[in-house]
Amino acid sequence: MATDTAAPQIDVAPPRGWRTWFTQENIITTIVGLIVAVAVIVPLVALVINSFLVLDDLGFDTEWGLQNYRDIFQGRVIKKALINTAIISTGCTILATLLGVSLAWINARTNCPFREQLEPFNLIPFFLSPFVGAIAWHNLASPKVGLLNNMAKSAFGIDFPLFNVNNLWGVIWVTGIFFAPLVYLFVVGSLRRMDPSLEDSARTTGAGLLRTTFTITLPLVTPAILSGAIIVFVTTAGEFGVPFKLSAPFGWETLTTQIFTKAVGDDANHYLGAAMSMVVGVVTAFFIWIQHRIIAPRSYTTVTGKGFRPNLIDLGGWKWLAFAYNVFYVCVAVVLPIICLFFVSLHKIWSGRIIWSELTFWNYQKVLFFWWPESIDAATNGIINSFILAFGGASIAMVVAIIVSYMIHRTKGYGARVLDFLSVIPIGFPGIVLAMGVLVTYIKTPIYATLWILLLGYITRFFPYGQRNISSIMMAVSEELDQSSRMAGATWLTTLRRITIPLLKPGIFAGWILLFVIFLRELSISIILYSAGTETLSVGVYYLSNFENEPMTSALSIAQTVALLICVVIFRKVAGKEALTA
Amino acid sequence: MSFVEIKKLVKSFGPEVAVAGIDLSVEQGEFVTLLGPSGCGKTTTLRCIAGLEHPDSGDIQIEGDYVTSVANEVFLTPEERNLGMVFQSYAVWPHMTVFDNVAYGLRIRRETRAAIKEKTTNALNLVGLGHLAERYATKLSGGQRQRVALARAIVYNPKVVLFDEPLSNLDAKLREQMRIELTRLQHDVGITSIYVTHDQTEALVMSDRVVVMDKGVIQQIGDPETIYAEPTNAFVANFIGVANLLEGKLLGHDGELTDIEIPIGDGSPSIRLRATGAEGAPVGAKIILSIRPEDILLHLEKPAEAMNLFEGEVIDTVYLGNFLDCQVQVGPHEVGVQIDHFEELETGQKVYLSFTPDHGLCLTE
Ligand SMILES: Nc1ncnc2c1ncn2[C@@H]1O[C@H](COP(=O)(O)OP(=O)(O)O)[C@@H](O)[C@H]1O
Ligand SMILES: [Mg+2]
Repeated sequence: MATDTAAPQIDVAPPRGWRTWFTQENIITTIVGLIVAVAVIVPLVALVINSFLVLDDLGFDTEWGLQNYRDIFQGRVIKKALINTAIISTGCTILATLLGVSLAWINARTNCPFREQLEPFNLIPFFLSPFVGAIAWHNLASPKVGLLNNMAKSAFGIDFPLFNVNNLWGVIWVTGIFFAPLVYLFVVGSLRRMDPSLEDSARTTGAGLLRTTFTITLPLVTPAILSGAIIVFVTTAGEFGVPFKLSAPFGWETLTTQIFTKAVGDDANHYLGAAMSMVVGVVTAFFIWIQHRIIAPRSYTTVTGKGFRPNLIDLGGWKWLAFAYNVFYVCVAVVLPIICLFFVSLHKIWSGRIIWSELTFWNYQKVLFFWWPESIDAATNGIINSFILAFGGASIAMVVAIIVSYMIHRTKGYGARVLDFLSVIPIGFPGIVLAMGVLVTYIKTPIYATLWILLLGYITRFFPYGQRNISSIMMAVSEELDQSSRMAGATWLTTLRRITIPLLKPGIFAGWILLFVIFLRELSISIILYSAGTETLSVGVYYLSNFENEPMTSALSIAQTVALLICVVIFRKVAGKEALTA
Repeated sequence: MSFVEIKKLVKSFGPEVAVAGIDLSVEQGEFVTLLGPSGCGKTTTLRCIAGLEHPDSGDIQIEGDYVTSVANEVFLTPEERNLGMVFQSYAVWPHMTVFDNVAYGLRIRRETRAAIKEKTTNALNLVGLGHLAERYATKLSGGQRQRVALARAIVYNPKVVLFDEPLSNLDAKLREQMRIELTRLQHDVGITSIYVTHDQTEALVMSDRVVVMDKGVIQQIGDPETIYAEPTNAFVANFIGVANLLEGKLLGHDGELTDIEIPIGDGSPSIRLRATGAEGAPVGAKIILSIRPEDILLHLEKPAEAMNLFEGEVIDTVYLGNFLDCQVQVGPHEVGVQIDHFEELETGQKVYLSFTPDHGLCLTE
């Protein structure tokens, strides 16, 4: 290139200057990139800043200091909450990993009967609300009003409570069964696509079935298992609804339930809440970093080119045990909770027993009939708001996701890498942490106490999920398809509209529905950011659970669950079976 | 009794019959190749021997013991058969080092630490990977992985080593090199080998005996020379080389030789030729004449005397290094001719072809 300048050449190169930068492509992607950067960075920065502001005793003034952090690690209540959070996250990770891996292995690699029919049911908890699961399990297995306990009492005369979920074990149980599909989804793909000759060669070398499973199969999926386990750990650490319902009222607080009390109510102290969020966020972000940087790149490529399915292990008579285990999981995670909620919702007062003569749909009128003056506003508002938020949020988030994916995969350079990083960050921070950041950022602006702040929180936290969906397809679709459209004279926007987006359509649909589901059941962001009038479905459930009664809570829970189940069916139709697997 | 005896082996996948009754015996120390087009059931046969598939019927004996006998309900699992197998995809375990990969079979056999170390090192040296023992399998090239797979399969001295197209994922140059090494290794170690490939060159240069298969059935068994020179049917002739196959009718036998006629249509008189083969076939039977391109002589002028002379028109010529590949139209047939001296040939030019009777082989269907 040095010769270019040396040679006495006359202006053959196209004119270069700041004007040429202003293309459709550059303008739009830059604007979206900046919006994403602001939306992601500002709340986190605000969180950091606020965590170092200490509220004085009168609650009016603040000064800089580390007192918030001292309170966390030295104050009795918060320290205990920290320990409880660690116990719950660890326990849930172990339980969910055991369940997820074993179910994935049974469905993908054994001749367990009806495994193909069971698989969609194994995944249903992924789409449902763990908060609702906690409500259901509260009604199933709390000492006094637990249906199972009372049934055990009347059937076998057991007069002490057989089960008790109102403690840390209960939280571990419910989060464990609800997050097992996360591990499942990470593992099942690797198990299915594994080159069968990796195991065959162990067999011919002299290893038996068990030995092959433990020395070859499982080690090969270990990176996937670890990834799933880390995601579960992080998700549990940020889970608010389950401990809030099951354990917090009985003295087992977690960091998230503590953050909640600092965000709203009489005891509110945003600065201390911010510091607690920082503690949770630093831990979760660290784990996500480990997953991204250390574990994911180490996963083994064991994919086979051949179309044949991997070896199925003949379990012999044990296959019925595997079947029973699988059915047991579906029962405790899906069937029992839904049935229980349904029966509870048909009573005016729930006493732990089904009273057949007094069943009524009255609760459904109270929580669903928004045109009825006697309906409960928090519930009916929640339904309307949640559908608005889910529809609008999923749509906007997918637009952001498409543009961000485009920038990451189709433009090179610094901006692409920064965006790639920015769209991982929200995954590292639980909803409640990010919501705390959004709260302290926007509390003094006009969007506070509107649906907009919720929308902002939702999109910021969850657009990466849509973005990953799009990115995986965009990597598979050749860039040349876009480029040939540009060569043919189409503008960037036209190309995006006529070529890129149609190619991505299945992914966009799948991502949209996934986000719709997530937003329809969202609790931990909403609970921090809502105010009277902007309740969401899950906030409505929370409100009913706190201020009304179990039957009404169950009625709204059932309504939410039905909506989510419909989405599951649509999702499977649109996205196909393999859509979620890692 | 041979070292490996396979009798009436049948295996179907649903309605599809992959192996349709195979009988095969392999002697100790022998290198036998199963050769056939993709999908003909080679891998399935091999997997039945390994115990990775349950056949529908048939027996397999190794060293006189039944390892599979459907009628007697005998089935030894793969790990009970003491075989070694090398897979098409190498199947080197990525979560282990090269050493651990190779030592796996020895550890299962509960050999002493010292014995494991010694045998593994020996096996690795044998395949030329001694210096890479501590490397992880993911950091190896394709050729190196294949060597690991090989060392892993032979290190515990199995009764038979089974190879399933071990070279097919390598590039041409490496394949050639590995083929030579494998042959050398097999000679040195003297291990009984059953080798599967769809590459006829590989089969012909490596094996003591070649088993040609098609559609789950054995078409011919013989040493490489016999398979090449005397294919017993059209499939083998076609598959083994690029033989010309011309359909015709048997006119009669004359001692060693056979008189045939090849119709060339368009009202032209049939070509009458003398060739060998089809001894048992009756007069008037349909036969297929097989002649290899390198056995046909090409003449620019009509030679004064030549046996089996017929004429045709040049339709295409391709220079292939040190010989010329020429397609000649003879009636409805395209006949390939290979000539090693350079001729100025033009498309459309009239030429004469001939061959000696012992180069033409009559095959019955
Ligand atoms: N696991 C299997 N399931 C279904 N069909 C199979 C399976 N394995 C092989 N086949 C079928 O059996 C036939 C023979 O296959 P194979 O033995 O792999 O052939 P080759 O190794 O000669 O290419 C093929 O048509 C193939 O499609
Ligand atoms: Mg094969």
